[in-house]
Amino acid sequence: MSPLARFRRTRELSLGALAVLVAAGGYVLLALSDAPSVPPRFWGFLAAIIGLFASAHVAVRRFAPKADATLLPIAAMLLGIGFITISRLDLDATKAEPAVGPAQSVWIAVGIAMFVLTLFVVRNVRTLARYRYTFLLLGVGALMLPLIPGLGAEINGARLWIRLGGLTFQPGELAKVLLVIFFAAYLVEKRELLSSGSRRLGRLYLPDPKHLGPLLLPWGVSILIMVQQKDLGSSLLFFAVFVAMLYIATLRSAYLLAGGALFVGAVAIAYQAFGHVQQRVSVWINPWADARGDGYQLTQSLFAFGSGGFAGRGIGLGNPDIIPVHSTDFIFAAIGEELGLLGTVAVLGCFLLLVGSAYRIAIQATRPFSQLFAAGLATILGIQAFVIVGGVTRVIPLTGVTLPFVSYGGSSLIANFIILALLLRISHESAVDAEAEAEGLARLAEIESAHA
Amino acid sequence: MPEGVLTVLKFCFLALVYLFLWRIVRTVAAELRPSKTLVPVAAMAADAPAPAPDSRRGRRWEMVIVAPPARAGETFSLGEELTVGRAPGCAVVLADDTFVSQVHARLFARGNDPYVEDLGSTNGTTLNGDPLLEPTRLRRGDRVQFGETVMELVR
Repeated sequence: MSPLARFRRTRELSLGALAVLVAAGGYVLLALSDAPSVPPRFWGFLAAIIGLFASAHVAVRRFAPKADATLLPIAAMLLGIGFITISRLDLDATKAEPAVGPAQSVWIAVGIAMFVLTLFVVRNVRTLARYRYTFLLLGVGALMLPLIPGLGAEINGARLWIRLGGLTFQPGELAKVLLVIFFAAYLVEKRELLSSGSRRLGRLYLPDPKHLGPLLLPWGVSILIMVQQKDLGSSLLFFAVFVAMLYIATLRSAYLLAGGALFVGAVAIAYQAFGHVQQRVSVWINPWADARGDGYQLTQSLFAFGSGGFAGRGIGLGNPDIIPVHSTDFIFAAIGEELGLLGTVAVLGCFLLLVGSAYRIAIQATRPFSQLFAAGLATILGIQAFVIVGGVTRVIPLTGVTLPFVSYGGSSLIANFIILALLLRISHESAVDAEAEAEGLARLAEIESAHA
Repeated sequence: MPEGVLTVLKFCFLALVYLFLWRIVRTVAAELRPSKTLVPVAAMAADAPAPAPDSRRGRRWEMVIVAPPARAGETFSLGEELTVGRAPGCAVVLADDTFVSQVHARLFARGNDPYVEDLGSTNGTTLNGDPLLEPTRLRRGDRVQFGETVMELVR
């Protein structure tokens, strides 16, 4: 094992141990909130989280030993905080909001299995670029699946799910990853053409229209998601990730402006055309106007943050169960009530470091495709966290997406674990390349001194 | 459990979370600091005295394509570095040669001497017919082959 690999894996293990300790501590706190002592099932929980972290860690040691040390522990920390919050909400489960903790623990196990599988199967991230059009087809197909009558299912007014047997799955979550692979591969191929202009329009040099045309496709797809599936969150996420990648690939701020203009245009049309968009905006501007009706979710969320205050009411001691959809979209508000500003800032800190590490992997990537791909994956995580945290804190209009690793939800967990595995794979490859280059330079220096 | 105890425990819990964040920040800081222990080979290379480019004696090397006939005679001046490959970003774009990798090899000058290095190409690079295993110094008249394209160092 090289010194770099040893350093990174040792750090990952010690940081992961700390994350496991925090999760165990949260579990104890929750148990003590309504019982005098720790129940015996605590030991089963402890064994399970140690086992889950250990299997992910061993897989990284085995398949990507030189990968970044911080991603896996941060994900473990977020998962732990999320799982404690979900278990806490389960104490007050009702018919409308049933207990989801047991299901979440199964999904976490499945997610880690997918993480290991991704590390095992994808040995070279650049091979993904070769199948770019296959991934495009699969991604668009996955987005369209819920629209098929009989297969698709509508939950809370959004048609995002497919139902197979008793299981519901949200294929859009996986589609994000597939489409980012396509974007990265496509943009690497075309970046020169898209960043240099051939036609002049006033003071602007425009690339050839035949290269610009395909760039409108993602815009169309995101409008389609908004219209057909009534899912503002995914639509926004999808478009923002694409514009961010286009900007990173070409470094032309004109694309940011154009993307912003297209976004504003789409939003204006959607506002005119759809009642649910108007409702979201009016609730955002004044949630108190109809606090018992349309504004109920958001006002309950704001009350939760307010009653949490600086340090929170304590795990198991608040009433976060009265916030609607508390285990998915509004989980951040539940954390805010019981752990307060300190707890929510810690969660935001985790996201900051997670996304920061992901962008660091992108910057250090040695190949153009890996670079763009990592940047796209980092952007997915960052924008998704921003959209939902901003939504429940009334910074932006609420659009329902999950908080990565924290919220309940199988599709989202699996997709995020795959993103994590791909980022670790890219990080490992870059470290291998960097070491090889350093070795080459050293050999070159030897040759030179021999000639001198 | 009395509420006082729970409050103390809650602060212990939050303190642990912040300890975790602090340790992550420390790890990232350790990674960003250039360290000799992490990548010793890189440190070694950086420590080796780099031959200073001497502009007075500096001369420009030129590579000329000798095969295939379609491109024969194209000349490239070897400044600091010439990348060779099928990718449009390369200095020497061999888009029609399907045996050439996207970024196949590089020609570069160290001090006043020209070198060639294979960049992990699929089909390899040869120097005067021998497979190129490491960055190698070129002499006038050397022939380097990438895929089906042959270049010669002329001066």
